Amino acid sequence: MRLALPACAGALLTVALAAPAPCGAQEGAWALTNARIETVTKGVIERGTIVVRDGLIQAVGADVAPPADARVLDLNGRTVYPGLIDLISNLGLAAAPAPTAGRGGGGGTPAAEGAPTGLEADRMVADEIKPAVADIRNLRDGGITAVLVAPARGAFRGFSALVPLRDSLTARAIIRSPVAENLGFEGVQGRYPGTLLGVIAYERQAFYDAKRQALLLDRYRANPLGMRRPAYDGALAALIPVVKGELPAFFFAKSENEIRRAVRIGREFGLKLTIVGATEAFRATDALKAAGQPVVVSVDFPKPTEVTGWQYRWTERHAPGDSAAADSAARPAIEGNAAALNSAGIRFALSSGGSLRPSEFLGNVRKAIAAGLPRDVALQALTIRPAEIAGVGEQLGSIEPGKIANFVVTEGDLLGDSAKVRAVFVDGERYEVVAPPAAPAGRGRGAEAGAGPAADVGGTWDVSVSTPQGANQATMTVTQSGTSFTGQLTSEMGSAAVDNGQVTGSSVSWTITLNLGGQSMTITFHGDVEGNRMRGSADIPGMGSAGFTAQKRTP
Amino acid sequence: MNRDQLRDGELRGIAVALISVVAAASLAAQQPASFTMPIPPAAHLVAITNATILTVSHGTIPRGTIVIREGKIAAVGADVAVPAGAQVIDATGRYVMPGIIDEHSHSAAEAVNEFSNSVTAEVRMADVIREDMPTIYWQLAGGVTAVNVLHGSANTIGGQNAVLKLRWGLPVDSLLFEGAPPGIKFALGENVKESNFQPGPGRERRYPATRMGVEEVLRDAFTRAVAYRTEWQQYEAARRAVRRGQAEPMPPRRDLQLDALVEVMDGRRLVHAHCYRADEILMLLRVAHDFGFRVASLEHVLEGYKVADEIAAAGTGASTFADFWGYKLEAYDAIPYNAALMTQHGVAVAINSDDDERARRLYQDAAKTMHYGGVSETDALKMITLNPARMLGVENRVGSIDVGKDADLAIFSGHPFAPASRVEMTLVDGRVFFDRTTAPTLEHLMQQLQEQRQHRPAAAATDKGEQ
Repeated sequence: MRLALPACAGALLTVALAAPAPCGAQEGAWALTNARIETVTKGVIERGTIVVRDGLIQAVGADVAPPADARVLDLNGRTVYPGLIDLISNLGLAAAPAPTAGRGGGGGTPAAEGAPTGLEADRMVADEIKPAVADIRNLRDGGITAVLVAPARGAFRGFSALVPLRDSLTARAIIRSPVAENLGFEGVQGRYPGTLLGVIAYERQAFYDAKRQALLLDRYRANPLGMRRPAYDGALAALIPVVKGELPAFFFAKSENEIRRAVRIGREFGLKLTIVGATEAFRATDALKAAGQPVVVSVDFPKPTEVTGWQYRWTERHAPGDSAAADSAARPAIEGNAAALNSAGIRFALSSGGSLRPSEFLGNVRKAIAAGLPRDVALQALTIRPAEIAGVGEQLGSIEPGKIANFVVTEGDLLGDSAKVRAVFVDGERYEVVAPPAAPAGRGRGAEAGAGPAADVGGTWDVSVSTPQGANQATMTVTQSGTSFTGQLTSEMGSAAVDNGQVTGSSVSWTITLNLGGQSMTITFHGDVEGNRMRGSADIPGMGSAGFTAQKRTP
Repeated sequence: MNRDQLRDGELRGIAVALISVVAAASLAAQQPASFTMPIPPAAHLVAITNATILTVSHGTIPRGTIVIREGKIAAVGADVAVPAGAQVIDATGRYVMPGIIDEHSHSAAEAVNEFSNSVTAEVRMADVIREDMPTIYWQLAGGVTAVNVLHGSANTIGGQNAVLKLRWGLPVDSLLFEGAPPGIKFALGENVKESNFQPGPGRERRYPATRMGVEEVLRDAFTRAVAYRTEWQQYEAARRAVRRGQAEPMPPRRDLQLDALVEVMDGRRLVHAHCYRADEILMLLRVAHDFGFRVASLEHVLEGYKVADEIAAAGTGASTFADFWGYKLEAYDAIPYNAALMTQHGVAVAINSDDDERARRLYQDAAKTMHYGGVSETDALKMITLNPARMLGVENRVGSIDVGKDADLAIFSGHPFAPASRVEMTLVDGRVFFDRTTAPTLEHLMQQLQEQRQHRPAAAATDKGEQ
């Protein structure tokens, strides 16, 4: 059994070590002085010092003196928060094979041998994460210091791992694994269970089987005489602590009905259930309250047209086709999701949902605050709540002695409009955040129209997209016209037209549409241009985002 | 497009997700953006007065009153007094019939076919119900109050059905028809043997490929179920024989698929079997006889008229279309007299929709059986009320206007079989879930749009122009 591994001893990215090895936290001592400290659990210290030693917080307070051997960092009144924790991520996981047809369509080719099918309860994420440094930096520069990694699709997705966002990330640094078994409602292309119908039946049967396996093993352990040795089954063994309520089940459920279905399954089998996603939780607070477990709430808000139930039950009456009115009626409730949970007395963490970029993540948290979520509750939901939900409330999530030294250092309120993340500490290791030349917050997506003249992106770019398998090289030719551009992106995989090219100040975005086995998939790129260099991320639907860098060829 | 055809279309291996995305998009496009849908209050005491009452079970009352107490019919008759404090619905000139029951539906389901295996008795439609589908409301507007949501016809033994009451606006759990016995979908013939499409690339043709194979799949599944039932019986016997201090025997593996089939054999789960041809109907009746269960209803059963005596002898119902056929080879030998002939031979016949659109005018389809074959008015009404209620095992609750039954009622402007009649009001458990006077009908929405245009400043209107 590979359950309940101690911190830092997750299975191995690099080389298997027989002897316990330290997780590689930064050695030595830091003193962060003249800091405004939001401890989250112990109030705010308006001017104080934090002492960090060997990756842990040694002391916090207004009257703490820096030790003699510590490197002193004078923060000049900047604010220190606990590092943010995002409980939805697929950082560093190999992308699942693209679905070749709709669910249960009967067409398409079977998944390649050995490829993830989403029916792998015993899949150990800690064994396979290989994050690209660019992706880690991308998240960390937004103040995120730890992410909970789990596959984004499947009925039984495997065991998640809580990962600190360090440049030198190895499996030895993993904070906790397994955190939970991950469940969802996606079926397997061309096989059983192929649809929502089959998935729920499959999950139910698997839990019955796990309960029986647990009973068999218990009886065999108690008295093997007269019994045959129970057959070993890794997938069933993985589910035993889940059906015993010892290991949490993280159930990915967004819409009202998904949430209600997941809660029903949780109740049927006595699972220690955490609903993850929960973008329509405000419509299912009764079920969530009854379930009595915390919720991981994504602030990747659905479009008003995507929300179930809405059009017919909730909104005011509008003229036919008046989508703007419907939109404005729906949006307060969508963005007020977390506020509604808070009012209902349900504990929750806030999450990016796995595909929002960090700036969008915090931007949407601000929208949630504007929609009625108290600011301090929001801060807790980004720090101590996710730590508790991930089972590491004693180690992370607040600025207290003994906790891991993960911090965000900002100028201005992290949850205010003009916050600038200046530095991030992970495991006591300091990472400076270099402010982008243009407006740092809400970059891209045309958020700021007056952000200076549009960057010149015309020409030929060598693009490198970081994937868990390594860098993918591509060449992009761009023809710019004012703030828009067109072009062609060519790689080994083929060639695709660059669509929706937009330049706003130094922010640039475009899409390409790939045809994969008859299904088209649109990948959205967002980047920042600095002279002849560009960096940013590519959002791949259903698979999260990948970092990219690009260099313009000089003529 | 007929639902049966739609299922066939899916079976052709078209990417269903893409279809459903397109379908959802076009649905959204057709929808009015939104409308207020007040949830009707629970009805404690209601009286429908001055109505022509089509009781279905005991004739027509030309001018009568129905009293509803706590959702149940408390009194029906010509001389019934209106109790003090009752909310009165004056139905002068109107006709009241039992709420229509659609015995074959795929409404309000987020998934219909678990295509992968030919036996999927373990999957449950109740797991995938969506309460927010507008079709629920539109069906209420057609007088439908209960529907039998079935698994699709891709598999020999499909999933477990869900009988719903159309309590539009209430949470999803409130839609389930409480107390309705469980059921299951079977299917025979072309859909099951995948004869009308090629399997997708990389996918082998699924077993069974012939009607012989379909029978074998059925017999194999029930043979497994018999063995499974024996295993549990032996376990229960061993457990009862355990003496104090002895170890409990180990229970057998619980198998959700075989559980459902054991329930079928024990008469605790009703079988609704999709079929077309006379030979496969007889095959199914033989298999059911051999394994000791009764088929509650044959679905579609377009050649039922050829074997009506055998169907009647088996005590099996027949749930068919009024006049819809020819959409595939096994549907060629159909005749519009099917419902009438089966009725004459003593078969309980239902007229179903298999389609959200047809479901809204089932009363017109029932009327057709009077034209083709001269079915009596009462028998025609039964085809969309009492007979489907029997097939679903809920005839003690719904299907006729009798004291003690649920107040699921449809109030029509004229006789339901008259071509120009339409539904004015639909009640479920005595609650008004559809009322044409307040419904967001096209007329109302157009009127509202015009009002908004009149109130809009002239400048803004001309600025936009006609786009």
